[in-house]
Amino acid sequence: MKLRLTVFQNLLVPVVVVVCWEVFGRLGDVPPYLSYPSQILAALWHLAADGELFGAVVVSLYRVTAGFAIGASAGVGVGLAAGLVRGVRNFFDPLVSLLFAVPKIAFLPVFLILLGIGDPSKIGIVAFSCFFPMFIAARHSVSSINKLFVWAAQNMGASRHTLFFRVIIPAAAPEIFAGLRISLAHAFIVLFAAELIGSHSGLGMLIADGEDAARFDLMFAAILAFAILGFVSDRILMAVRARVLRGAMLGTEEKILA
Amino acid sequence: MKEPIGRFIARWYSIPLLLVVWQVAVSSGLVQSRLLPGPAAVVEVLFSQIMSGVLVYHAAVTLGRALSGFALAATVGIPFAAAMARAPLCRNLFEPIFFFGYPVPKIALFPIFTYIFGLGTQSKIAFTFLECLYPIVVSSYFGFRGIRTRLVWTARNFGAGPWTVFWRVVLPSALPAIFSGLRIALPVAIIVVVLTEMIGDSIGLGYYITVWSTRFTFQNVYAAIIVVGVCGFSLDQILVQIRRRFVHEAPDAAR
Repeated sequence: MKLRLTVFQNLLVPVVVVVCWEVFGRLGDVPPYLSYPSQILAALWHLAADGELFGAVVVSLYRVTAGFAIGASAGVGVGLAAGLVRGVRNFFDPLVSLLFAVPKIAFLPVFLILLGIGDPSKIGIVAFSCFFPMFIAARHSVSSINKLFVWAAQNMGASRHTLFFRVIIPAAAPEIFAGLRISLAHAFIVLFAAELIGSHSGLGMLIADGEDAARFDLMFAAILAFAILGFVSDRILMAVRARVLRGAMLGTEEKILA
Repeated sequence: MKEPIGRFIARWYSIPLLLVVWQVAVSSGLVQSRLLPGPAAVVEVLFSQIMSGVLVYHAAVTLGRALSGFALAATVGIPFAAAMARAPLCRNLFEPIFFFGYPVPKIALFPIFTYIFGLGTQSKIAFTFLECLYPIVVSSYFGFRGIRTRLVWTARNFGAGPWTVFWRVVLPSALPAIFSGLRIALPVAIIVVVLTEMIGDSIGLGYYITVWSTRFTFQNVYAAIIVVGVCGFSLDQILVQIRRRFVHEAPDAAR
């Protein structure tokens, strides 16, 4: 009974909003640019049925995955190296602290000029913005490892190889995942902006098209698709994280967020 | 504490090194200076644009929008997080919205904001508010929830009323988490304002960057990027100073 009440309250606000939106939308009391839910779902269905949505999703997904993969792995690699080796750290720390405060999207014109308007410039800017949060998380994860673990492993005769894969990586993993999550969020923001500002394809373009044609149901459908894409990616990442960090997550409050 | 000059060089050499490499590459004609102007040209433009007040004006517009949205999100978000943490009804009503909405890329909603609020300052502030609200509420919420009940009990035992308990116990113990939320939200505010200005506006640093890149005058683009970076960096430093002033005991300050 208690649980039912909680679930009821949980659903109350979203359901009320959607129902009001639908009712007032149908009555015409809502300005046309807000459309209404059933119309949006119909548009989404229509887009999905004629394959346009699928094409746009594939394009956007390819860009965000490639960019995220390149930027995040570079960030992890260089970040771990910077955490472990002083020379690397001294080289990258000033550069990162210099560039970290700059919104990476400001470099979009530069990427567009250097790599053209197609996929490479989108992948480039996504990778570029994923690199920084990932670098900081990875670098910090190494420097915050409990030195006793490292000393203990060394004492027991662990080789550098063993030390890296059995001590340092597992100890750094939670923070690396935190960095991955931030990078993923950045990837979607930047991808959206890049596709909206300069692109001939992808979900961002679909949204801009819907807007230009005053087909607000289409615009909302594409927005919905984009939101679902971002949400599902985050869920997948969190599922992987829960699998990898089985032990580290026991008894933490983060379960609420995940 | 002055560090030895050798270590100082070892720690900071990479920035001047890259600048020199950049300048040499441009001067020797290795890269086209039209697409990638050298640092000397960028600095020259930066100074002349600041002196003429153009960059100052656009920076003031961008900063004003970012700070308004950020301040609005903080004033609404922190009390809201407190209410969610303390009142079960409020928590049940709004928790799903925040925890399911958190990973959704909210930038996708920006076109709708331009329809509701227009293309100008209002839509930027409203959107910045939304983007900043999420990290502030989520982080503060965990701060308000993670308070050790023992502290509250002790205060009550000493006869503190609910008001005193909130101001003297609850708020100070939640403050580190609140500040880490603010510190996540502040760069987000600047990113979002510059980004939305790039999408469509006629003032602000984002507009400045777009308009000069369509004219292929990249020294102005880089000059504006530098201004954005300096703004972001100084705002973060100011926040760190404020935090130092208000958060007295924060053992896990690094987080």
